[in-house]
Amino acid sequence: MKLLSLAIQDFRNIGAAALAPSPRATILVGENGQGKTNLLEAVYFLATLKPLRAGRLAELVRFGTPRAVVAGDFEAAGGPRRIAVEVDAGGRRASVDGKPQDRLDGYFEGLAAVCFSPDDLSLVKQGPEGRRRFLDRAAFNRWPAVLAEAREYLRALRARNAALRTASPEVEASFRAPLVRAGARLLLRRRELLRELAPRVAAAFAEISGPGAPAVGISYRGAGGLDLEEGGEAELEARLGEILDRRLARDLERGYTSAGPHMDDLVLGLDERGARLYASQGQQRAVVLALKVAEIENLRHALGRPPLLLLDDVSSELDPQKNRYLLEYLATLPAQAFLTATDRRLLEPAAGPEATFYKVEGGRFGPLDS
Amino acid sequence: MAVADPIARLVKELARLPGIGEKTAQRLAFHILETGAEQARDLAEAITGVVRDVRCCSVCQTLTDRDPCALCADPRRDPRVICVVESVPDLVAVERTHEFKGRYHVLHGALSPLDGVGPSDLKIRELLVRLEREPAEEVVVATNPDVEGEATALYLKKLLSPSGVKVTRIAQGLPMGGDLEYADQVTLARALAGRREL
Repeated sequence: MKLLSLAIQDFRNIGAAALAPSPRATILVGENGQGKTNLLEAVYFLATLKPLRAGRLAELVRFGTPRAVVAGDFEAAGGPRRIAVEVDAGGRRASVDGKPQDRLDGYFEGLAAVCFSPDDLSLVKQGPEGRRRFLDRAAFNRWPAVLAEAREYLRALRARNAALRTASPEVEASFRAPLVRAGARLLLRRRELLRELAPRVAAAFAEISGPGAPAVGISYRGAGGLDLEEGGEAELEARLGEILDRRLARDLERGYTSAGPHMDDLVLGLDERGARLYASQGQQRAVVLALKVAEIENLRHALGRPPLLLLDDVSSELDPQKNRYLLEYLATLPAQAFLTATDRRLLEPAAGPEATFYKVEGGRFGPLDS
Repeated sequence: MAVADPIARLVKELARLPGIGEKTAQRLAFHILETGAEQARDLAEAITGVVRDVRCCSVCQTLTDRDPCALCADPRRDPRVICVVESVPDLVAVERTHEFKGRYHVLHGALSPLDGVGPSDLKIRELLVRLEREPAEEVVVATNPDVEGEATALYLKKLLSPSGVKVTRIAQGLPMGGDLEYADQVTLARALAGRREL
């Protein structure tokens, strides 16, 4: 689904903006702090309803204004459809062709967006939350139903945590079952996703690193020793249930659930060793790049077309060899992409003949003089 | 407010109702004023009457003006099967199907540790007392298919099973007469997981 036009109002530092994105690369050039990332964030929000950076939704609204609106015309079978999303003090609301949507799964049909920003480059090095977020977002891009499933898990988790702190043992035990059921569902999704991604990550990493490079491995570490390798949904439920039973005394003492998808981790390794400890900074970045390319390739394969791509100033953070790989890869990909840079020359190799350039200054978007 | 005190007082009371803002309250107040004394008295009596006359049925805990309620007093209803629901609207929904011939028990909520709702805040003790006095063969738990409803169902199952009563749970799946394409994805996924051989 291509984005044909984009209108933004009072989103972060952007007062009002109307853009006509290229069907391929739309390149935003400007100094830092002018609003390049905010525009990517607006597009990401429109395509996923999730904020790109952690934080409260209310922070998306431009200071001193009541609401932020992002709207776009998307190409669809039967003509363009206008999708809009609005945030104010009351929360967020989405609409399609002016009709409010209360069910989100219809809204996401055919929309998938992959973002790559400098923050992602520390994915290997940082704590497990970032890797879990990668897993969740990738799973949600792949299967929109994951959004509702993850929400149900979170709800069950909050209820069970509250039960651990305040309720009788019988009540707590009653909340463990819905938690385990929702958890097993998410675990299955993650396993399926990793099975799809693993060979693509290995292939992309080998291509980025060239001959003689170590082999990259990607595996899942379940908290409490959970084995995700085999078994169906019922078996996973039983296994997760056993782990929670075993940890009950500890969980009661601490007042929260210490195992389950919200505590698990994605393990990235080189030649059977943990990339977090043993890989150089360059190798770590190559692993992240391979992960992102694998996700894009996987979606392209599953959806029959590449996802919407958002690349935030990545070129300035990659060494020349990795940058060349990324830009050459993008140039061959028939994807719609938004890219930002402080210097247009950094992105020139990915631009292609259909590229549209914008100059970003103080939250405004104008033509870029070449 | 630039209106007489009695009007202002009515507006204030109406605006306390859920879903009614200050403007709607004002419109309603002027409407009541215009319709005249008789209608206003009927409305006022209906409001005081509902609070005065409606209470929980001592058997099934539904809201009623007669105790026991019409359902509990009906000799044609099968006392051996009890359907447990969260709320009175849920009871009405099940009753509308004309499929269920047993009796009901209304919990008035579901377990929710996040909101501080525990077993003692629900009509669970009343259910136990009732089953002791009048044993049933089957308890059908028809709480909502969400986290709180599921947990409440499991809690009841554990609580009631030792007494030997059969505890069942209503099935989940696709709505009849509905289009598959309009089903939400979680329901569809559950329905697929719970498929049966034809």
